[in-house]
Amino acid sequence: MNREGELVKMKSFLFAGTAAILASATMSSQAEELKIALSSEPTAADPHYHNLSTNNAFVQHIFEALTATDANQNVGPSLAESWEGVDDNTWVFKLREGVKFSDGSDFNADDVVFTFCRVLNNENNVSGSFAPDVENFASVEVSDPYTVKITTKQVEPLLPELLSQIYILSDGILEHGDLSFDPANGCGVTGEWPSVDSFNNGSMTIGTGPFVLDDFTKGSKIKMSRNDAYWGEAPAWEKVELVPVPSAGPRLAGLLAGDYDFIESPAARDVKQLGEEFGYTAKPSSRVIFLQMDVARDDSPFIEAEGGKNPFQDERVRRAVAHAINREAIVERIMDGFAEPASQFVPSEMFGAQTDPVPLTYDPEKAKALLAEAGYPDGFKVTLSATNDRYINDSQVAQAIAQFLTRVGIETDLDAMTRSIFFSRRSKREFSFSMGGWGSTSGGAASFLRQYVTTGDKERGVGGSNYGGWSDPEFDAVILEAIETVDAGKRAEMLQQAGQMALDKLGLIPVHFESTLWAYRDGLEFDGRMDQYTMAKDIRPAK
Amino acid sequence: MSEMQNMSSQTRPPLADTPQRGANLRRIKRRPSVRKALLLLGIVVATGLLLPFFAPQNPYDLASFSVMDNRLPPGSEGMNGEIFWLGTDSQGRDMLSAIFYGLRISLLVGLVATAIALIIGVTVGLAAAVFGGRVETLLMRLVDFILGFPTILVALVMLAVIGRGVDKVILAIVVVQWANYARIMRSAALVERKKEYVEAAYNLGYSRLRIMFRHIMPNSLSAVLVVATIQVASAITLEATLSFLGVGVPVTEPSLGLLVANGFDFLMSGDYWISFFPGLALLVLIFSLNLAGDRLRTALDPKRS
Repeated sequence: MNREGELVKMKSFLFAGTAAILASATMSSQAEELKIALSSEPTAADPHYHNLSTNNAFVQHIFEALTATDANQNVGPSLAESWEGVDDNTWVFKLREGVKFSDGSDFNADDVVFTFCRVLNNENNVSGSFAPDVENFASVEVSDPYTVKITTKQVEPLLPELLSQIYILSDGILEHGDLSFDPANGCGVTGEWPSVDSFNNGSMTIGTGPFVLDDFTKGSKIKMSRNDAYWGEAPAWEKVELVPVPSAGPRLAGLLAGDYDFIESPAARDVKQLGEEFGYTAKPSSRVIFLQMDVARDDSPFIEAEGGKNPFQDERVRRAVAHAINREAIVERIMDGFAEPASQFVPSEMFGAQTDPVPLTYDPEKAKALLAEAGYPDGFKVTLSATNDRYINDSQVAQAIAQFLTRVGIETDLDAMTRSIFFSRRSKREFSFSMGGWGSTSGGAASFLRQYVTTGDKERGVGGSNYGGWSDPEFDAVILEAIETVDAGKRAEMLQQAGQMALDKLGLIPVHFESTLWAYRDGLEFDGRMDQYTMAKDIRPAK
Repeated sequence: MSEMQNMSSQTRPPLADTPQRGANLRRIKRRPSVRKALLLLGIVVATGLLLPFFAPQNPYDLASFSVMDNRLPPGSEGMNGEIFWLGTDSQGRDMLSAIFYGLRISLLVGLVATAIALIIGVTVGLAAAVFGGRVETLLMRLVDFILGFPTILVALVMLAVIGRGVDKVILAIVVVQWANYARIMRSAALVERKKEYVEAAYNLGYSRLRIMFRHIMPNSLSAVLVVATIQVASAITLEATLSFLGVGVPVTEPSLGLLVANGFDFLMSGDYWISFFPGLALLVLIFSLNLAGDRLRTALDPKRS
């Protein structure tokens, strides 16, 4: 407290004063309108464009999937009322009857088949998006308009969870004959597959969700209104506006001034001073912030080391990096306590996680010793690439990491960039060393391991984000078997084993788990979600 | 007539004794307000160029500060007992040192960019005035084209394409600024071109290039130089804006604009010093440049002397 002093006292008076005046002015007038300030802007209204939490949270206002996950990531029914696994490879989904799209057409199995085909016929998608999930389908059979049988090529125990992110489109948006799941021959669709623009301009943005899209203007705002034909519980809001405000300061200022009713990730240092006219929700998340190193190339573009080698190929160097970082300091000083130091890639409560991982301690002496042992007593030079508008305090965390690494001799430059540039450059493997984040939305520990640690294999839909080219055949064997094991107990055991192998060799280095914060004006209620999604239907007027 | 005699005599280089040059210097010396403005500017420039060598910390060396000292208010004591007179930023960087270094980057960018833009602009303007005809049309339409775009937009797009870095920021500023000088230089040179001493030089059979640079340029430069003083300020502002928007200098080597941007997120939390002091430094720097430029303009205005 001594470092904050008088100023804080003065300011909380100020906060309370302004807040009281503003709150009384805004409360009465906007009963059915909700304005939400987002920390990160969705890149498209196309639900299959990019598998990114910002996009997924936004499109779930408009679209729904066969299944849905709740606030704690447990999967439950949505457009499918029930499902069962007939055998290891076959699943039967019973669809909900009487559901209408916002254009008035009925929802049935044809829409499901159409959607799966579109996921595969999606030229604009980023990093494959959801295509790997659907590529695993051997067949999709429709026995009656409300029953869909999916047969998978590889055993996929997590199919119900994966389907919670494949948002269903209306087959009415394109001309077609009889639809069947036959991707090689266009599935019976005669029209041209829609591009991302047809969704951004609203012409094909037709879903079954609680809201309909009124306007999607990149960089400015997204307007939606209530879908009166929605089959589920009607949301409390007639109109919803999502406004991207990437800087935390202006976002909070907007909340205090009454411009927004609800804001995403306010700075942790601010929420404690909000005062009684505002509320906030903090929820631990599954999002891990991690470091990814280029280990595939012998000569990596952003590394300057003696002899032109790539030091990250040496396990001792990676371990040195892991021990050079003071995770407690990052959590305490930069995240203001709203985060957890990470010694593995998923929180230990999650399915298949290590229950008690060996902590990655802060030990700069050990890091220096390891570097010297690996043949880099004077360290080396590297550029850390990171986002500056995607994760909570991302550019500051990256700066702190650069600071810690420089202190043990790894002279680290930081290149912090906006996320659209970061993601596209990272997928082209332009980086030598990058800081990323991953929220495990489904499958517990399997999600991260199969996406980031497994050797890339398009056919099997694994390793899609393995941008560092990490490859460990022993690990691959275990994880590939694990993700095809239907028995939950056995799967958890194998995932733990795979997770331990990944941590032993440190192909990637975990840093911390984010906690998600939301702040809102008085008179609202919100429970928060582990997957960090902000959705207007979860925000309720307080009773 | 004296002009003609001067130009035709080859005993002294024509640069040194153009009549306007002497008059300009006399005007500047006569006016105390110009001297004061230049003195203030000198102090600021000296601070930026010399003080980094005395700064308590090298804010670009990530190993010299610690995140454990972050966001300390002015006057607090750090982990290792050092005093942070202007506080620290979110990375634990000493603000005072960061401002000294930031001032240096701002000055460097402003001066180098202006110098390069000046050379390009003066050459183009002179060429347009002297050669005339198609060359003039081509060059001046290019100038119109560039002046037609908002400077920030052009610079933003350029930096988005070529990436961050001090050299790249300088390049972007040169691209958006040279056209200003070209336009002014051309109009000043057009006036000179009609004068008798230039005609005389032509009659003596001097080459066009020689007439351009040795006769016309020295006599039409004063307007451009006054504009240049003010343009240094606008180059610095542009650099600060670009850095503030996150496309300028790298985050590990903050300039004043980037320091303000870094502190921006903390204003709401009451950590005012991270933005305030760099902002103040930027204000003083730009004010002193503008003041000097303005006083110079008044002093050199023939109507007022």
